[in-house]
Amino acid sequence: MNTRNALLQVARSGGSFLSLVRKLWQHPKGRIGLILVGLLVLVAVLAPVLAPYNPYDVTQRAEKGLRPSLDHPLGTTITTGQDIFSMLIYGTRVSLLIGITTGVAIAFLGALLGVMAGYIGGFADNLIMRVVDVLLVIPTLPLIIVLTGLLGRSYFVIVLVFVLFGWTGLARVIRSLVLVLKNSNYVKAAELAGASRWYIMTKHILPGTSHLIIMNTTLTCAGIMVAEAGLSFLGLGDPTAISWGKMLAEAQGGGALLFGAWWWILAPGAGIFLAVFSFMRIGIVMEEIFNPRMKASSSIYKLFKHLNNDYMDEVFRSMDDEESAQSADPSDRSHPAALEGSHD
Amino acid sequence: MKRSYVIKRILYAVFIFFVVLTLNFFIPRIGVSDPAERYYPPQGAMSEIEYEIIKQYTREQYGFDVSTFQQYIRYLQDLTHFDLGTSLQAGSPKVTDLIGQRLPWTLVLSVTTLLISLSIGLLFGTLAAWKRGRWQDTTLLNASTISVALPAFFIALMLSFYLGFELELFPAYTNPNMVGQFDWSWKAIQVVFNNAALPIMSMALGGIVGYSQTTRNSVIAVTNEDFVITARAKGLSHTTVLYKHVLRNAMLPLSTSIGMSISGLIGGAIIIEQVFNWQGMGTLFLEANSTKDYPLMMGIMLFLSAFAILANLVTELFYVILDPRVTVGDKR
Amino acid sequence: MSTKPRLRTAWLVPVLAGATLFLSGCMNIDYPCRTDLTNTLYVGVVQSSFPTAFMPWLSRDGIAPTIASMLYSTLFSYDDDTGDFEPSLARDWYYVDAQGLPIVTESGSTDYDRLEAEGVKTLTNPQTRKTEQYLTVRIELDPRARWSDGEPVTADDVYYTLDIARNNYLSNHAGALAWTADLLHLYSNAGELELQGIFTFNHGAAAQGYAIDEAEKDQVVYLHVRGVLGAVTSLFTTVLILPEHLWEPVVSRDSQLNSRNPDERTQSLYQNPVGSGPYVLDVEASGPSQIVLQRNAQYHLTKDDARPLYAVETINLILYQELNVAIYAVMQGHVDMLDSSLSANYVRLFEGRDDLYVSAAEGTYVQTLVFNLNPVSAEQNPMRSLLADENVRKAIALAVDTEMLIRLVANGAAVPMSAGLIRESLTDFYNPNANILAGDQAEQLRQANALLDQLLPEKDDQEYRLLDGQRVSFTVLGSVGEIELISFLEIQLQKIGIEIRYQAKGSSPETTYLYTSRFDMTIQGVIFSLANVDIMLNAHFVALGRTSNYGRLVRSDLTTAIEEMRSTLNLHRKYELLYDLQPAIAQMYYKVPLYSSEIVSIARTDRYTGYEVVPGATVFNTTNLQQIQRIDSANGAVESVAAGEGGVTR
Repeated sequence: MNTRNALLQVARSGGSFLSLVRKLWQHPKGRIGLILVGLLVLVAVLAPVLAPYNPYDVTQRAEKGLRPSLDHPLGTTITTGQDIFSMLIYGTRVSLLIGITTGVAIAFLGALLGVMAGYIGGFADNLIMRVVDVLLVIPTLPLIIVLTGLLGRSYFVIVLVFVLFGWTGLARVIRSLVLVLKNSNYVKAAELAGASRWYIMTKHILPGTSHLIIMNTTLTCAGIMVAEAGLSFLGLGDPTAISWGKMLAEAQGGGALLFGAWWWILAPGAGIFLAVFSFMRIGIVMEEIFNPRMKASSSIYKLFKHLNNDYMDEVFRSMDDEESAQSADPSDRSHPAALEGSHD
Repeated sequence: MKRSYVIKRILYAVFIFFVVLTLNFFIPRIGVSDPAERYYPPQGAMSEIEYEIIKQYTREQYGFDVSTFQQYIRYLQDLTHFDLGTSLQAGSPKVTDLIGQRLPWTLVLSVTTLLISLSIGLLFGTLAAWKRGRWQDTTLLNASTISVALPAFFIALMLSFYLGFELELFPAYTNPNMVGQFDWSWKAIQVVFNNAALPIMSMALGGIVGYSQTTRNSVIAVTNEDFVITARAKGLSHTTVLYKHVLRNAMLPLSTSIGMSISGLIGGAIIIEQVFNWQGMGTLFLEANSTKDYPLMMGIMLFLSAFAILANLVTELFYVILDPRVTVGDKR
Repeated sequence: MSTKPRLRTAWLVPVLAGATLFLSGCMNIDYPCRTDLTNTLYVGVVQSSFPTAFMPWLSRDGIAPTIASMLYSTLFSYDDDTGDFEPSLARDWYYVDAQGLPIVTESGSTDYDRLEAEGVKTLTNPQTRKTEQYLTVRIELDPRARWSDGEPVTADDVYYTLDIARNNYLSNHAGALAWTADLLHLYSNAGELELQGIFTFNHGAAAQGYAIDEAEKDQVVYLHVRGVLGAVTSLFTTVLILPEHLWEPVVSRDSQLNSRNPDERTQSLYQNPVGSGPYVLDVEASGPSQIVLQRNAQYHLTKDDARPLYAVETINLILYQELNVAIYAVMQGHVDMLDSSLSANYVRLFEGRDDLYVSAAEGTYVQTLVFNLNPVSAEQNPMRSLLADENVRKAIALAVDTEMLIRLVANGAAVPMSAGLIRESLTDFYNPNANILAGDQAEQLRQANALLDQLLPEKDDQEYRLLDGQRVSFTVLGSVGEIELISFLEIQLQKIGIEIRYQAKGSSPETTYLYTSRFDMTIQGVIFSLANVDIMLNAHFVALGRTSNYGRLVRSDLTTAIEEMRSTLNLHRKYELLYDLQPAIAQMYYKVPLYSSEIVSIARTDRYTGYEVVPGATVFNTTNLQQIQRIDSANGAVESVAAGEGGVTR
């Protein structure tokens, strides 16, 4: 398997956004992912219509701690008497909004910094990579907790902190690709023609990385949604908003376990699962579309590594190793082809 | 040369540590005009003038009366004595003491989870690799998909509910006497693990899946290598091939993966510890956060960062030792 | 293949090993509460951590003050209902006149008329250079009182404690935790005594002209207190007395009483407290998650029949960090009771359980809606100027539907409170005329709208009133737990066309109401009782200044009335003035009462019996500690005399 060629293929596989969607649809697993994501977006947008009660409206609250019934399919909360089913629907909004916004923001920042590091090289490259190393070492969750304490508890702060930490993975991946693209013919031609750096970066290199960005972003969104649930669970989100993580926190604090109200815990958990699962599906399928040589059976593996930010590293490390391996002693018996990435 | 590579990596780790140090010093000062304000006692019945005197005295007591730069130097000096500061808790315990009290308990959770995930993961992974394409393999894939999408704290809540409250197999919440009554007796150890069961189960699921996948793919990759095919062609039994050649070589990437997880070992359990009320570093951090005990909070963060840097460094060096091919500026 | 069975079964090994390790502990879980046959009460406390230092003035968070009050004693204890001082370390007290004679009536109580006429003297305050009026108080200690190390409690201990509370140089403002401001004993900031106000046999009593017999030299203390009736209350009932013989050699400028960096000796005293209270700390058995208190065998107060005053021999406080965990523990029998008060949501959980005693005590805090009437000029804006108009406030007060709040927010476990902010149970001076916000809600709503129609007749398309074209809108500062309350207030005020929104109370001073009146409205819990009216009425309605302007109501007529109430030396006159103050306060509509929550707490009945509901307290209170009986597990019957009998030997 020649990984370098495979990646160039990813970069070069053409087609617009619509054709991408069409290809996803044709893929059986992709179809499921698309349908699920579509459903979630629909639920989020149409929340006021779909939810039987408005959980923000205190006049629509019922008795506290009701068990599931026809009136309230998932019962009501013990602490405030809000309808859990409606809260579940409204929670979709926050999760999707945070996930997609953060994903897009990370895409911008990560791609920009990655391209700069890869193409300009030298000092910029060094600086950006050092920053990446420092950010990777600081424990993320404690830092987010400290920052929300200092800057206030709002979703804006959470998105900000996620973006601050999340761009590192994408930047490294993009950088590695850019290093490859830098040496391709059409880029060299443009340089010879006298095009400015920024022109080359935006017109030639960036489009080449677009598919990688989209793929990465989808998977990042999935990861962010899980992380946001965790933060809301710890009580760091906006106290007036309704989110799945916050529902879980309320359930635990309100004594759902004591009262035996397992549905209050199951519902938001299922919501988180669905949202993350559907985005993951799409991301994995996109990868197969862009890179048909990578088999489906290894995709989950890659996903898992990706969420730890080291899938692509590993691929590129393996590229470096292949080069060094080619000059190694052929009788050397230990020859792992797939090496682990560097940082969590 | 290997040695220069090792020295380079060590120096680089020190540099990163220094940057993290500095960040750690400045973060609590973000957006705060007077960093000593957390230490002032309540004004109570004091007049304005009295209160100013008290504020000045407090500043002197805690070292805020000098310039920021001097505070920074003092901070560095304290660090050379491994003094991470004094907590704001009543009785002013040292941060290092508090960390020392709670760290072993977090390690109990993390290390046990690591061992279990590793052992089960290795076996599942090898099995899946051996049975590639069959039901064992696809089950693993499906399990992986699901486990990534299910947050660990959700699993923790469900386990706490069913196994803890409903079936009463394990305590749904950690017994608060567990720490105080621990006396290294066999009974006390049993109690500890009984309480640790549910937290470990919640964390182990993701770990098992991860290590299984890593092992599976390593094994598959190695199995396709020439030397394995050679060994098989020689007529060696599957067992010998498996243990002697495949696994030994698949271990290498796995060990780097383990190294990486160790750095996340301590900080990663915060939410789980909170769900089960486990008295470890995670809950210590959350307590410090609720009382705005910044010396303790930043002390813990520095400790975690230092640990991560150290773990990464050790792993990289270990890797260098293990894999003779990875050298910098090799003779070729 | 030979590897197949090996692989398939190999993974069983770690699984089985793990399972054995984890499950083996199941059998061995023992909760001492379930098996302890002794007279030990297990109390669950919900807090993030337990104190490790037990100096009474080190902290006022959480359980620390409760423990301090059990390890140490005050001079007297306060009876909320009668207003009397019950003996504790001291047995008797009275005001003295210029000749040193007690100012008492024949029955022994204070003669207020003579006090007004003859008890008051004047001095010049060397720090403010003003003349002040003062009273002289004589206190007689109980000669039986002992420290837990065997030493007797003497007048010099009282002198030492009160003296160091006033000396910030040595105490690091520890005294701020006890209100000693009315004791006229003054130190400079450099630690020099500028005015002496405490006198014992060894500390200048004779020079001052206060005769003390040689025989009672260790029991008598004279105090100079400011000339107000409430001056003695906090001195008698909140100052926990420290042993001089242990603290005096240790405390210095470098190692203050209330030190953040205590040296070894101070730290040792913090962790091994020696007090004179009914309980003693069992240092060995106590740890980070458990505090054990043993009944002090030498405690000088007993019941009438010489039995120990406190029926519970050992108290075992167990730390829980989460309320639900603690409730679970009580329900499972791991502890006997909880120190915390619960939300009324949980009451349903305890229905039908014979083994649980649910105590719903009358609460003492009332939740109020407070307006910012008086912002500093930088914080003035047209909306807040609206609040300065009494009619606007009155309209808002009338629109608040307390019955709905009690039903929906407090789940019925609360009672309404009079607008005069004094509880009905304080019958000595409760004024029913101040209860102006109780009445037919529909009628009140109509009145409110009528008032506002005159002032703000314009409305926008959503029926909210307009001020100069802008919607009348306020933010209410509140904590996360108050969001629900504020949401209900939102819809109630919508009915009179006023919009309110929740605003999060921040953690730094700048984002709370305590900072230069930067708020429109806020939710505040207030408590006015006989013991604190002097301080609290002044603090809530008069005192201004400092950066914490607080947006306070400042009305000269109210201020004069409060001052008069505070300064009168005639108790009966004081009650009269309090009676008259309440309608005045009510009509200011400055703090609008919402409801007063009941205090719900639980205890188990399988090991102890005889619980009583004590107003203002959870089941973990002094009355219960003094009277609950251990159920003899052998024959299941109550061991001895029924609860509640037996007065206290004085």
